Amino acid sequence: MSVVLEVRGLGVRFGGIRAVDGVSFDAESNAITTIIGPNGAGKSTLFNLISGMIRPSSGKVMLRGVDLTGRPPYLMQRAGMGRSFQITNLFFELTVFENLRLAAQRLETTGRFLLPVRRSERALARVHELVERFALAPKAGELAGALSHGEQRRLEIAVALATEPSILLLDEPTQGMSHSDTADTAALIRDLARDVTILLIEHDIGVVMDISNHIVVMHQGRKLAEGAPAVVRADPAVKSAYFGHA
Amino acid sequence: MVDINVVEAKGTARPKRVIDRLGLAMRASHVLVALFVVAALIFAAVGVIQDDRFFLRLGTEALIFAGLALSVDILLGYTGLLSLGQALYFGLGAYVSAVVLKEVPSFWAAMAAALVVALVIGFLAGLIANRVRGVYFALVTFGLAQVAARAVYNTRSLGASDGLIGVPVVPIDLGVITVMSNSPAGFFLFTLGFIVVLYAVCAYLLDTPFGRVLLALRANERRVPSLGYSTRNLRLSAYVLAAVIASLSGALYPMLRGFVSPELLFFTTSGNAVITVVIGGVGTLAGALYGGVILTVLKSVIGSLTEHHLIVIGLLFMATVIFLPKGIMGVVRPLIERMLRGGKR
Repeated sequence: MSVVLEVRGLGVRFGGIRAVDGVSFDAESNAITTIIGPNGAGKSTLFNLISGMIRPSSGKVMLRGVDLTGRPPYLMQRAGMGRSFQITNLFFELTVFENLRLAAQRLETTGRFLLPVRRSERALARVHELVERFALAPKAGELAGALSHGEQRRLEIAVALATEPSILLLDEPTQGMSHSDTADTAALIRDLARDVTILLIEHDIGVVMDISNHIVVMHQGRKLAEGAPAVVRADPAVKSAYFGHA
Repeated sequence: MVDINVVEAKGTARPKRVIDRLGLAMRASHVLVALFVVAALIFAAVGVIQDDRFFLRLGTEALIFAGLALSVDILLGYTGLLSLGQALYFGLGAYVSAVVLKEVPSFWAAMAAALVVALVIGFLAGLIANRVRGVYFALVTFGLAQVAARAVYNTRSLGASDGLIGVPVVPIDLGVITVMSNSPAGFFLFTLGFIVVLYAVCAYLLDTPFGRVLLALRANERRVPSLGYSTRNLRLSAYVLAAVIASLSGALYPMLRGFVSPELLFFTTSGNAVITVVIGGVGTLAGALYGGVILTVLKSVIGSLTEHHLIVIGLLFMATVIFLPKGIMGVVRPLIERMLRGGKR
């Protein structure tokens, strides 16, 4: 296993508050690394720091050995960082096809950017592949805004994956899903991990323990513990901070 | 070649469904523009037979303002940016063209100058205007146009409040044929061709991945960076493209009228262009052409009956927004789309 993403001492201050404070961890290739922690622990802020949405005040983000610290989100994406959002963030007035096509366009050479859309064959082939894999083929011509919540959450992941990123950041992919949809999504994420490194934020502790290879526990902006699911579950500090008296 | 539209046809008896809705919508716009051109050619033929001057020149003016509306539609309909100062580039093109033509009566020199000036000013103003969004973008574009209008209005060498008069008649050398700018039918047909070329350029660009990302910007700007695009660069590109389209359209104005006046830069011009697009149909390109003709004809017809024609246009605008929120194209284009889709089965 090689390290894909290295996070070193990453932190940011909002006014006087350290929202994220000196967090370090590694995400290994083709593994699922999950960040957990109570509400307000700084998980989403950490994601925003890693993907460039917020500029860190300290620390480093390295992807495949390249220092990406402080780059804007669009350059992070080009460097191989794909991300989905906790609150579904799609192009609702465009079709499922177009949502995916827009993302898959990154696979094409720059020259195709100013040629008719149909000439970007690789992007179109990628869209075909994704609608099949995410069971969205019958909905490809529908507007993203017209999909059910579960379908929108699936599309959200598919869009992030369309660019063939080195690492996929998934922010609560099962948010608001029914029990059976959650199980399907968990299986899907495990399946995705065969081809891509995954960094996950997840609340459903059953899913977390089930699919994660490595868990990072956050508490009040700091890293509280990390390790394999069994190790983290047994950690007394984690027990008191996160699992309560479980 | 991969045909995305046959996704569902594989192994099923169901008919093909069009999945690339945007491509279909653009093809429908092409059909509507083709109909527009046919109607314009019939109009020109009737004009020639009747030996008309007035209506051919009014039609030419309508086409020129349709070009300005086209530029507003790129911003409003495709990029989601409301510019209330597009007259800046229209007037700029008109003044540059007038100044050049008075020095050297060469059509191509005037056009080239209008193009270069629009690129430079559009880029610089775009850097300023694109620092802000939404209402603030509308206000900044409005302000920039007001500043330019005032500057021209107070500059004696540009004719100040009188504008520049005495722009000479120019021969437009198209290689095979030379059109004189004072020939009503000839210049009408030339302008028609010119605006169709502008439409074709816009339609081509908006159907490339570049154009589709502009639509993505309109739909949800926050998601665009995670597709790997700089929203600032995209908005700036759209802004400069719109500036060029407006400027080139404006450059034809002094050839038609023989003069330019500061009114071309005023808010009325910008506002009318937005109204034109809304009446025609936002985000359709073809709507800008139809809207341009409707508005110019209405202004002229109602203006000859009453000097309060702005009231009528205001009421028409309100009625459109309330009863036809997607404009005329919003009603007509879906019919053409259905026809095109039917033909594909």
